[in-house]
Amino acid sequence: MKNLLLSSFIAILFSACHFGHYSRLTKTPTESISLKPIFGDNFNSFLFKTNITVYGKDYSGLLVTKQMSPQDYRVIFTTELGMKLFDFEFKDTAFTLHYCVPQFNKPKLLKVIQKDIETLLMNDLKKKAFEYFSDSKVLYSIHKTKNGKLDNYYFIEKSSAHLVKIEHAKKRRKKTTFTLSNYQTDFPGNILIQHHDIKLKIELNLLKK
Amino acid sequence: MLKSNSNRPIFDSAQTDDKSDRHTERSRSVSLFLTTVLVLMLTTFAFAQVPAGYKPVKDTTAFKQKMEAQSKLVSTLESDFTQEKYLSVMSEKIISKGHFHFKKVNMLRWEYNDPYKYLIAINKDKMYIKDNGKVSKYDINSNKMFKSINEMMVNTVQGNLLNNKDYKAKFYENDKFYLLELSPLQKGAKDFLKVIQLYINKVDYAVDKVKMIEPSDDYTSIDFTNRKTNQPIADEKFIIK
Repeated sequence: MKNLLLSSFIAILFSACHFGHYSRLTKTPTESISLKPIFGDNFNSFLFKTNITVYGKDYSGLLVTKQMSPQDYRVIFTTELGMKLFDFEFKDTAFTLHYCVPQFNKPKLLKVIQKDIETLLMNDLKKKAFEYFSDSKVLYSIHKTKNGKLDNYYFIEKSSAHLVKIEHAKKRRKKTTFTLSNYQTDFPGNILIQHHDIKLKIELNLLKK
Repeated sequence: MLKSNSNRPIFDSAQTDDKSDRHTERSRSVSLFLTTVLVLMLTTFAFAQVPAGYKPVKDTTAFKQKMEAQSKLVSTLESDFTQEKYLSVMSEKIISKGHFHFKKVNMLRWEYNDPYKYLIAINKDKMYIKDNGKVSKYDINSNKMFKSINEMMVNTVQGNLLNNKDYKAKFYENDKFYLLELSPLQKGAKDFLKVIQLYINKVDYAVDKVKMIEPSDDYTSIDFTNRKTNQPIADEKFIIK
């Protein structure tokens, strides 16, 4: 009973922290810095050294993204030795699975990776309605939009105008955090996608653009 | 209307005079001839598919014996390599560079240095992967995939794939190279690999280039340069900490 009480208290405290994170934000009437797509419209290919850790299993390799037309991206993941692991296409809001090895061909896992990459490609950004917030220290311009049952928060650092964090939250509880850091001429050198409700972490380290 | 004595199909029934009949027969012969030529051509392409600039090796037994004899002379091997990944949808190839060390029996250190650091080492039944400064150690026999990676890498470096029963081998040559084409026979391997091409130089029978072609025709090619044979390599090179 004592343990139950203690764990309930810890649970409440823990969720309070998550709730607190968003409740401290102040709504602002307009955006102070505009939100731009990470990959932009430059039709270049980007090459990342990539590690995907899913429930204790590590998959490392090279992830390459290529914009084929304004709203059409191809994303391919190969091992360092060149073996293709998956080949995705994102055209507007449609998703095509061109190829996938059995290790990744699990509907739930594929869906999560697909959604994570969609978040980074920001294909549907122009169609979204946003609300704007500021944090207590006024360090960020925060843009909030609906993403199905989730809320997406985009944190733009005011000092650099760089998008440094994206959070997916469900009923104000943080589900996924995308951390974008080490910017090199307006493109993040490191992207870390950390899921909080499943054991999945994706690290993208830019090699070439 | 059909002629009573005719075996001709119904779509020929409108042509009733002799001239027309002769014309039709001639057309048939011509088209039969053309079809035969076409089928022959297609068959030739489908079954031979000799790579451009190469001809089939006549005495494959002699070639295999020479390959084996040469491979027996190699105790250590090291070389730089350049790996190119071609993906049809991308405008440019992904190029990675590195260095490898090989020592008999079954010790291999395969290391990428540019544009990223990644190392795979095989030491008999152990496999090490060093990535992001973190070393992972695996027992090769514990995992079917590791076992096949090991066999593939060690055999590729040694040029030993020609005796592997999992592959069907074809042998070609030109002035400078023997070209060995290996097609996987097992279903699992066929899913991601159409053919492996080994370019073996005629001077010392060493593998100069390996090209692994996927069913989609995307490929990975590896070129070996600055090869050194039978230089001493310490066993420690194959233990990763």
